[in-house]
Amino acid sequence: MNKKLFTSEQELTAFSQQHHETAAMVQIRAAAFEQYAELPLPQFQKINYRTWSLFNGEPLVAAPSTLKPLTKSTATISQQGTQPAQIQLNAEAQAAGVVALDFFEAEQQFPELFAKYYMTIALAKDAHRLAAFHAAAVNSGVFVYVPAGVQLKEPLTWEFTQDTTTGQMYVHHVLLIAGEKSRFTILESRQSDDEQAISANIVEELILQAGAQVHFTSIDELKSTAYLARRAYLSANSRLDWALGLMNDSNVLDDFNVDLKGDGSHTEFKAVAISAGTQIQGVTTRVTNYGQHTEGNILQHGVILSDATLIFNGIGHIVKGARDSDAQQENRVLMLSKTARGDANPILLIDENDVRAGHAASVGRVDASQMYYLMSRGLSKDVAERLVIRGFLGSVLTEIPLAEAREKLTATIERKLIDGQKHRDRAE
Amino acid sequence: MANLTIKNLHVRVDDESEHKEILKGVDLSMNSGEIHAIMGPNGTGKSTLSETIMGNPRYTVTEGDILLNGESLLDKPVDERARAGLFLGMQYPAEIMGVTNAEFMRSAINARRADDDPIPVREFIKELDKNLNLLDMNEKMAERYLNQGFSGGEKKRNEILQLLMIKPTFAILDEIDSGLDIDAMKVVAKGVNSMRGADFGSLIITHYERLLDYITPDVVHVMMGGRVVKSGDASLAAKLEDEGYTGLRDELGLDVQLTDEN
Ligand SMILES: Nc1ncnc2c1ncn2[C@@H]1O[C@H](COP(=O)(O)OP(=O)(O)OP(=O)(O)O)[C@@H](O)[C@H]1O
Ligand SMILES: [Mg+2]
Repeated sequence: MNKKLFTSEQELTAFSQQHHETAAMVQIRAAAFEQYAELPLPQFQKINYRTWSLFNGEPLVAAPSTLKPLTKSTATISQQGTQPAQIQLNAEAQAAGVVALDFFEAEQQFPELFAKYYMTIALAKDAHRLAAFHAAAVNSGVFVYVPAGVQLKEPLTWEFTQDTTTGQMYVHHVLLIAGEKSRFTILESRQSDDEQAISANIVEELILQAGAQVHFTSIDELKSTAYLARRAYLSANSRLDWALGLMNDSNVLDDFNVDLKGDGSHTEFKAVAISAGTQIQGVTTRVTNYGQHTEGNILQHGVILSDATLIFNGIGHIVKGARDSDAQQENRVLMLSKTARGDANPILLIDENDVRAGHAASVGRVDASQMYYLMSRGLSKDVAERLVIRGFLGSVLTEIPLAEAREKLTATIERKLIDGQKHRDRAE
Repeated sequence: MANLTIKNLHVRVDDESEHKEILKGVDLSMNSGEIHAIMGPNGTGKSTLSETIMGNPRYTVTEGDILLNGESLLDKPVDERARAGLFLGMQYPAEIMGVTNAEFMRSAINARRADDDPIPVREFIKELDKNLNLLDMNEKMAERYLNQGFSGGEKKRNEILQLLMIKPTFAILDEIDSGLDIDAMKVVAKGVNSMRGADFGSLIITHYERLLDYITPDVVHVMMGGRVVKSGDASLAAKLEDEGYTGLRDELGLDVQLTDEN
């Protein structure tokens, strides 16, 4: 990767000024800018992304044109490219004191929370080159704070669209803080407006304070080469459930991490992925049990069509002292063509005796007797295949709390499979 | 009137090492409106015959032909044969996780319709309710995953449910009665009988005359050693019940090993 810096110090400062950034943020950017080119790239087992263009486009070039004051207010957030986020809070959220702000507004209004949580405990600014680049170049994002004790019946819905037409690289940040014993659901969706040679570097940090319970669903449909980190920090007795649909169309490096810091914290991580065409998706999901009586379960199912690649790394790490903890994982990949490449790679690192841990992994093909059975009822090969796959991916679908989001993911899976099958059938 | 004809059918199954000829010249012809039964000792090739008619890729036809309304089915894959009007109620139906029974049946029905003309949901549900009712099946069965965790008997009923929903021209039912208690057998027979009519024919494979007490066949065939060795009316089944296959074999002077003789 080239070591030419993406901008100059002056431009960086100018960008900060334009956005009325705090001195602390200016400082963070400057330090990260100094560092990033020298830091090593993060390494993920069996995923070789050295040739990917993860730095295409200039993050600070196009200044956001409409920096207008936001209507604060449900928490429906939508953000087009690097424009300020459009945010609506419903009456329930407003009454509960939920805060949802555009990134730049939030750093000014909540400097203490930024100092404490922004790229500190969930993903350190200097963790590696991609993180430091992010800290230096972040050009959009949102901040959401759900106060202690707040339980939201309605989900927080946010939708982020990368705008590739501006030529601007997309460096997007989400910082979520779930206050003590708060309880709510997040429905995220990510997409790109177009397929252009513009990269994305996305970092989401989820901070759960003691006893918080969060259900996080996301449907990712990126079309740009991307680094996408979702990093969670769990305090005592908090719980984070994930249901992710990794339905991107481009090369994506997924870096998912959960630190079970507090005693009794718990995460259930479920993800499904489809790789088609010639794309590569490399997914690394790491759960580290630090606290006692912590539990972390990973379930990843994926399907590969045509010449695509999908790699699932699942890392369960129980550190010394994390007594009475549990780490389980299952990684399965189904290959639909001879040229598909896939790996399901479970790694357990156990430094404590008093624990339970286990894993299952498989890389296989669609079951011939199932296909025959379905086809014997008149379903074409493609339709039968899609049904079997939908069944195989069902573990995540059933996990999604909202019917509407379930339907959306079902439709997205269907779309991606049909595209993939067309591509394959043409090639045959 | 539709017709299904099997002509001098020879079939091989490719096991790991050996290539075993299982069917050695089967001849059989049936029309819609008729019910035929096939009986025969274990291992004689009844399932092989039904799977081959349906188009299971594991079986290779080495000689002969299978004709639907005079047209050969041999170069057609299984799904095309199904859409052409064949149905096979299997001895061991597959289980499929994550796909509901109802969803599957709807897809199967829609596979026979134009893309822009799927069956209206209300029409589907009405038909489904009617057939669940006819088969004494709980509505919940439709929402469960396809055959997943179904008991042996439930799987068989579910095969008949699919038959009633899909309405094929010819249904081959392979040991649909095995593992069924007597009430369930009556229910299954009721289902098949409800399909009877000029546009429907069925080839029923069974070991027991009992099923044929409830679904009276027009013709009974006996298979032994990979061939149809005798055909007759419904009374042939009763005769077999009394005399067993050894009696028939010796009467016909056949040189066939029966599995229970070793
Ligand atoms: N897929 C297969 N692989 C290997 N051998 C097979 C296969 N299918 C059938 N056979 C063999 O072919 C012979 C006929 O089997 P088939 O299942 O057709 O008999 P059947 O008449 O249906 O018996 P049953 O009454 O026990 O159901 C048997 O010896 C069986 O082992
Ligand atoms: Mg059999």
